[in-house]
Amino acid sequence: MARRDDALGVGGADTMIGSGVVVNGKLHSEGDIIIDGTVKGEIKASGHVTVGVNAEISAPIKAESAQIAGRVEGNITTVGETAIASTGHVAGDIISAGLAIESGGVFVGSSQIKTTRNPLPETSEESGPVKS
Amino acid sequence: MYYYILNPTAGGGRLKHQQEKLRDRLRALGIDGEFAKTTGPGDATRLARYAIEKGHTTIVAVGGDGTVNEVINGITGRVAVGIIPLGHTNAVAMQLGIGDWETACEVLAERRINEFNLIAAGQNFFVSTLTLGFETELDKQLEEPATTHRGRLGQLRSSMVHAQRFDTLACTLKTEAFTMQAEAFSLSVVNQKFLAPLSADRLNISLSERPGRRRRASYVWQVLRGISPLDEAATTRFLADRLLIETDPSTGITVDGKLVGRTPIAIRLTDRQVRFIIAKTKS
Repeated sequence: MARRDDALGVGGADTMIGSGVVVNGKLHSEGDIIIDGTVKGEIKASGHVTVGVNAEISAPIKAESAQIAGRVEGNITTVGETAIASTGHVAGDIISAGLAIESGGVFVGSSQIKTTRNPLPETSEESGPVKS
Repeated sequence: MYYYILNPTAGGGRLKHQQEKLRDRLRALGIDGEFAKTTGPGDATRLARYAIEKGHTTIVAVGGDGTVNEVINGITGRVAVGIIPLGHTNAVAMQLGIGDWETACEVLAERRINEFNLIAAGQNFFVSTLTLGFETELDKQLEEPATTHRGRLGQLRSSMVHAQRFDTLACTLKTEAFTMQAEAFSLSVVNQKFLAPLSADRLNISLSERPGRRRRASYVWQVLRGISPLDEAATTRFLADRLLIETDPSTGITVDGKLVGRTPIAIRLTDRQVRFIIAKTKS
């Protein structure tokens, strides 16, 4: 959402879903998305996606980068880095330029690291739940 | 030539005291024109249509948000619309960078124009803000804004009690892409371009939960001052081109400060444009 003094509307997330809010369908944004509620369907952002501690997502996420502090069921694809915070829980595959899992964060699925400098994917397969 | 549509009842009759000074200022700036006074609801729309028929290319609403809304509902074609804010609530003018009538005269003379797509809410067109929930209910309770310090404190106190007792609304919001279910204390729809002049015309939907005790006073104070607290207090925001709002229970809807209907209501961004004369800071 653009602040009043932000003429280009680039100062913050243009989509924000509060806790207690339930969304069914496609959540698309040309900017950043911050979610602290429930989303079922699809999430696509040209910018950064932040999944808050209260969020429950059942949807694939495609974004520039992502920070996960809540629960995500679905694949995550980012051009930049995906970070799972200590409260984060991801069940799904991650394709990303980098993956960071904080101590306490849970990731169940496989990860594939793709960087723009190295078009050939460097793959690391996770078997079963990983808890850092 | 400029065509000025004056609402003599706006702002509790402020125009009566300002009219001579206003005309002198406009004359000095070389933008004097024809003046017409409204006599009742809907008259500004009728006068705007009449002015266009007569060939005026600049129409100026002299009054508050209600007068501006009536004028834009009568606008067709490439006519420029100016505002001289003299109402109780002048949110549209404020959003265009026009703080008072003196500034408004300078802005009119400089004539910087920005185009905004109108939003249709049922049969009504608006350019700035649609609200429902606490702010709309409070508007209904407060007939006139308080003018004394004591009066303002009294209004703040009663509004705080009202905010505490106000039941949130179970809302279903349907856009072209998704359906959202939320409990809303307050909801507003504004043209995004009004908030960020260089951005595209889109519906910017903001929704807030009931503010906590600590935030309640500042929230209510902002509402009483005619500033949308949702700029800061919104917990949910998104952009859309079309929106259907359903609430349980059905509730009143305010458009640019005027009660226009009840939920359910369909809102959409239209191709119909209004060319506002805006302040340099907003161009």
